[in-house]
Amino acid sequence: MFSSTAYTILAGVIFFVMLIPLLILSEFIFLEPFFIFHIPYEQSFGFVLILAVSAMSAIVIPMNVYRIRTLQKSTSKIGGGVLGSIIGASAGICSCGPFGFALISTFGAVAGTATAFLSNYEILLRLGSVGILCLVYYTTTKSISSECKIN
Amino acid sequence: MLLAIFVVMIVSVAIAYSSYYERIIVMQEHRMNVSGPAPINLTSGSPVLGSASAQITIVEFGDYQCEACYHWYHNTRADIIDNYIETGKVNLVFMDLPFLGRDSITAAQATYCADDQGKYWEYHETLYNFQEAIDNGWASKDRLVSFAFNLDMNLDEFNDCMDSSKYAKRVKANYDESQRFGAEATPTFLIISPDGAVKKITSAQPYSVFSQVIEPML
Repeated sequence: MFSSTAYTILAGVIFFVMLIPLLILSEFIFLEPFFIFHIPYEQSFGFVLILAVSAMSAIVIPMNVYRIRTLQKSTSKIGGGVLGSIIGASAGICSCGPFGFALISTFGAVAGTATAFLSNYEILLRLGSVGILCLVYYTTTKSISSECKIN
Repeated sequence: MLLAIFVVMIVSVAIAYSSYYERIIVMQEHRMNVSGPAPINLTSGSPVLGSASAQITIVEFGDYQCEACYHWYHNTRADIIDNYIETGKVNLVFMDLPFLGRDSITAAQATYCADDQGKYWEYHETLYNFQEAIDNGWASKDRLVSFAFNLDMNLDEFNDCMDSSKYAKRVKANYDESQRFGAEATPTFLIISPDGAVKKITSAQPYSVFSQVIEPML
């Protein structure tokens, strides 16, 4: 499947579209006053998890697009892939950052509770997200290999 | 179900960002109407850390429950103190921007109750050393009192101060000042040069960024 240029490009686009905003939201990349990429030692695991979520999303989503388009199969597995990606991406919203501030100042206590949850359980949520994406990868691989088998 | 969650998330993000950009537009209009914002009022902030006559002032807008503030405190602040504050070139004022949870406000008030007993910075340090998850009870009233106890403070005086909420207005004044200067995240830093020019640094950026901003001002 990844021998097709279109799917490789799709995977690359998904990887960078997830990675760059997540690195900015999680404050590993700063754009002002200077562009700087900085990983504090104690946050390196968080950085690795962002890489993992982005890479897994970039693998799982195109695989499911292929499965749906080529094999005309149901969309249930891509739902799992998107859910995993959303959880992983949401966990990256730092409540102290401009995004969290905008949410809290607009929606008040409800957003405060939500961003606090996303911030307090950031690592666990990202691990869960990687877990979901691994599961979707496993089931999709199994599905593709059995559906593509020549009898 | 998944689609519904996705739609709710997109709508929430859109509303939050529209409000965010509205504020930016209002601030830009404000900047166009006046020659520049009035100088920052530091009187409601912390005591000055460093020499009062230092050429440059760093104003930190922070929240005691903010994890990024914790990282800045533990990774960057010590280098700034060693290289700029102890050498008399820079001083630092902390101003509260408590927005993350209910305990953020009481923690901010507690620092001024500690200041009444001359222990503002010791208390500030304690809060950043003992920070845990947002609103999980680490900065509850009881814990704030126990921090005061550990710093050998007069507990009756501290409790009276906390119970009377005498510093609620001061914390609110800090918050208002942060909004006047467009702080939209914690920590946000204003680096004020000798000629009054202000440079803003948002978030827990590394020491090298501060150094690159401060050096040309000296």
